[in-house]
Amino acid sequence: MADFGLTKKDLAGGVVLLDVQGYLDAHTFEQLDDAIEACFKGGKHRLIAKLDKVGYISSAGAGVFIGAIGKAKEKQGDIVLLSPSPNVREVFDLLGLTRVFHVVATLNEALAKFGAA
Amino acid sequence: MQVRPTQRSLTITNRTDQLQVVRDFVRESLHAGAVNSGIENRISLAIDEAVANIIEHGYESDRTGSIDLLIEISPGRFQVVIRDSGHSFHPDGVADPDLDEHLREGKRSGLGVFLMRQVMDEVEYSFREGLRNELKMVKYL
Repeated sequence: MADFGLTKKDLAGGVVLLDVQGYLDAHTFEQLDDAIEACFKGGKHRLIAKLDKVGYISSAGAGVFIGAIGKAKEKQGDIVLLSPSPNVREVFDLLGLTRVFHVVATLNEALAKFGAA
Repeated sequence: MQVRPTQRSLTITNRTDQLQVVRDFVRESLHAGAVNSGIENRISLAIDEAVANIIEHGYESDRTGSIDLLIEISPGRFQVVIRDSGHSFHPDGVADPDLDEHLREGKRSGLGVFLMRQVMDEVEYSFREGLRNELKMVKYL
């Protein structure tokens, strides 16, 4: 698996889908940080992070979402986590983040959280 | 399958691109020791967090240093010892994160040490400033 990859796609209702691949650790997290920051600067605060192809996440990677969700919510947005891999889910559970973030299994469910399904 | 006694070592430099090397080393060691793969992600996580802390806090960004890892697996016990000669970093001095505060303020610090404590059964630290830091973590299997 490559270290890190990300594709960004604009969806209906001002929602942005971030499809993340690879490892989210202290070496790669800034790339996701930058991508989310670019969304915010472009006025997009409704984000779906697709995490099924993320094989590993550390606190540096999880910290990106912790740092960003407050900013998204300030602008009436949110960050929805779509189909996190078992390894990602485990770390979010350890940190207690699954009680804070919406975690969904399908894109339709994610869009429904924004009323855009 | 029974755990196979295993001892393996690795030396890396203090660069974040070495974290993947560390995780590969941990995974290969666990396989060599026939440890249940269900705890592979958590053990890799704890060790990755410890090494990432040393890389971030142990050395000035322009200083090259080495970090040594020694894994010992025996029936019922996984142990890793991580040694470096950078600035000492005391996990004991890091309080568990208040998640609500972190979310409110967008804070990220302290999460790694919290995960190390969550995953491992023992986290023990000793140091001689500027000479040798040693972090020992144990997970009962």
